[in-house]
Amino acid sequence: MEPPLLEVKEVRKSYFENGKEFKVLDLIRFELAERDFVCVVGPSGCGKSTLLRIIVGLEPPTSGQVLFEGSPIRADNPQVAMVFQSFALFPWLTVTQNVELGLEAQGIPPEARHPRAHKFIDAVGLTGFENAFPRELSGGMKQRVGLARALAIEPLLLCMDEPFSSLDPLTAQNLRDEILQLWANPDLPPKAVLMVTHSIEEAVYLADRVIVLSSRPGRMVAELEIDLPRPRNRKEPEFYGWIDEIYSLIV
Amino acid sequence: MRGLRGRLRILAGIAIFVAIASAVLNPQAAWNAIQLPLYAVFSTTRMVLAYLLSLVFAITYGATAATNKRAAVIMLPILDVLQSIPILGFFPAALVFFVVTFQGSPVGIELAVVFLIFTSMAWNMAFGVYESLTTIPVDLEAAAASFGLRGMLRFRLLALPAAIPKLVYNSILSWSNGWFFLVASETFTAFGGTYTRPGLGSFITNAGLAGDTTGIALGIGVLAAVVLALDTFVWRPLGVWSERFRMETTGHEVPRAPSPYERFRWLPRFPRLRRTFWATVQPAVTRYRRASLRLDRTYSAHPKVVRDIRYLDLAMFVVILLLVVVAGVVGLARLFLSTLPPAAAELPRAAASSFVRLALAYAIALAWTIPLAAWIGRSPRGSRYLTPVLEVAASLPATALLPIIVGFAILVTASLGPAAEVSAVLIALFSMQWYLLFNLIAGVRAIPEDLNEAARSFGLRGKAYWRRVLLPGMVPSLITGSITAWGAGWNALIVSEYIPFLNPPPHVSGLGYLLDVATFNKPFPDNAMILLTILMMIVIVLAMNKLLWRPLYKRASVKYRVEV
Repeated sequence: MEPPLLEVKEVRKSYFENGKEFKVLDLIRFELAERDFVCVVGPSGCGKSTLLRIIVGLEPPTSGQVLFEGSPIRADNPQVAMVFQSFALFPWLTVTQNVELGLEAQGIPPEARHPRAHKFIDAVGLTGFENAFPRELSGGMKQRVGLARALAIEPLLLCMDEPFSSLDPLTAQNLRDEILQLWANPDLPPKAVLMVTHSIEEAVYLADRVIVLSSRPGRMVAELEIDLPRPRNRKEPEFYGWIDEIYSLIV
Repeated sequence: MRGLRGRLRILAGIAIFVAIASAVLNPQAAWNAIQLPLYAVFSTTRMVLAYLLSLVFAITYGATAATNKRAAVIMLPILDVLQSIPILGFFPAALVFFVVTFQGSPVGIELAVVFLIFTSMAWNMAFGVYESLTTIPVDLEAAAASFGLRGMLRFRLLALPAAIPKLVYNSILSWSNGWFFLVASETFTAFGGTYTRPGLGSFITNAGLAGDTTGIALGIGVLAAVVLALDTFVWRPLGVWSERFRMETTGHEVPRAPSPYERFRWLPRFPRLRRTFWATVQPAVTRYRRASLRLDRTYSAHPKVVRDIRYLDLAMFVVILLLVVVAGVVGLARLFLSTLPPAAAELPRAAASSFVRLALAYAIALAWTIPLAAWIGRSPRGSRYLTPVLEVAASLPATALLPIIVGFAILVTASLGPAAEVSAVLIALFSMQWYLLFNLIAGVRAIPEDLNEAARSFGLRGKAYWRRVLLPGMVPSLITGSITAWGAGWNALIVSEYIPFLNPPPHVSGLGYLLDVATFNKPFPDNAMILLTILMMIVIVLAMNKLLWRPLYKRASVKYRVEV
């Protein structure tokens, strides 16, 4: 049997300070298959960002394992891309250069990476801003660059850490819809999306599975299948039903 | 900004005019000064060499300390000591080393001069690199890691750009430090002879020696012109350019900085040649990148290799730490277990009198810089007219003013003994005051406008305004300025307490004098005394930093920090 795209196996994380143990994450386990859109929600300080950093291999877990396509995850895995809350754009590189970052690291020559960068700059609607610097862009545009940069390496799995939290509500909503469109387009990466958020409404709007974490240390409280049809309508009572249910699980 | 630069040019023009005028009035002296442009080239070349050396050192040292936590345990304290001790104190020792190694040939002396300038530039630049590399935002590091940046690519795209703003800022400080040391080191007496390397510094010193006032004026004028030209055409554009590399806070929009190259448009750029070059190099780069990628993947797939490398790293760390500690302990033991030289008994008294002299200079500097900074910092007009003048004055290294200061002291006191005292204090004052002034001005400017407006609207004026707004606003920058000022003061001791170009050389008792005596001891330099004197200075400087300035700064930054 083929292994699932991503396996998070009994992950625990603790920090040690002066010999004292501070548990951050406890016994996290879940799987991600192709075509999944999974959101991890939890109150602030529940370690959900740490979880994502462990999943993409930026931090080692204290115990447990993260497997990507059956083998241990590595931070520079070109099949996994990351989008950051703070955008994490290189201020001294242009939009194109930022988008080409991962391609350059993979040793793809310039004549091959330019068209690919352009394709994804176009896909996120930034045509015309190729040579702009991040500081000249609005928050929403910056996050589009972050998205294009992640998509440009054509990853199987897209990981997003609160990608819309530092944007104004209107921009955030537009970007959410665009993410859904990209995800629904079979010609474009990624195959699966894993997103961390503190907004329950956002999770219910986007995900087909929501993993709920408790506050410190983060434990899995529930794993819920959101079976609402897409496009989802925030005004429907079912939508509110899900929000209320998750809310009651957290509090 | 543009207006300021314009006025700077006017000032440089005035300096050049004065130089021409004095040349017309005294043609003989002007004839002697005909080599001045050449000397300027020599001196600038030494500065550039030392600067390039410092740049390489700063990037390697800072980057190593920032990426290797274990190495940082040893490297940072060393840097901290090197940065806060009077480097000029080491010059005699370095001089002996280089002159002996090269058997008195000019190459040895040139190397000694460049080395000395290097020691005045390198440390704060290395600290700048270390600080900027350790403060790269976590997310940016994570992005670099998750997109697979490594090795040279990571250095080029992440580490180097992140270090540029601090590096440029600290380079400007280092560069003006360098002039001070250049002037101090181009001519000196040792082993019963005088060594002179042609340059602006030696020209000014020799003019002072000969009592040639026109020569002094011309030398200082040319020095000022060179300093200003480099400032206008190199450092300011670089400073503007470095803004591009500043980390921005999210959501905060910064206007686009003008292209740094605009000023250098006239330089040939060879676009075709560059394109051909890259076209030839690119395939090799791509191949190298892919090969290293593969290699990295294969070796990290074997945990044993990774573990072995870690052990090797640890072993190297332990060996180096042991070497440093053992060398230090053995050196100190040898120094103190052998019978101390008789002159060692003078050390405490000398230290005390040097300290009193510096304290006096510091007090005088405070007395005039605080009111002036308060005025300039708040008055746009004062700032507009006075800042350029002060910048020019500050750009002249105190060592270059030595002949003028000594002449002034003799004029005032009319006898050599007291003149030596006065000039020692004055030289210390000239090396200390600018750091205080410019730090204080920055402190006053940093007081938020709405705080001033609030004070005004509540009718806070005069004494109350000073006590409640101005002085508290100045405190943090006063402390930072004081640390640098005292450092400069200790450095100045070596040139200020013993004036070799008068006959008989007058001197005052102090650490600087002891050091000079030990260095120029005939027939051999008194190594034990050199070491003891430097150790004494190091202990005092470190004690002041750790026991006085650091705690003060900590308290001030909690109490007087203005939240933005």
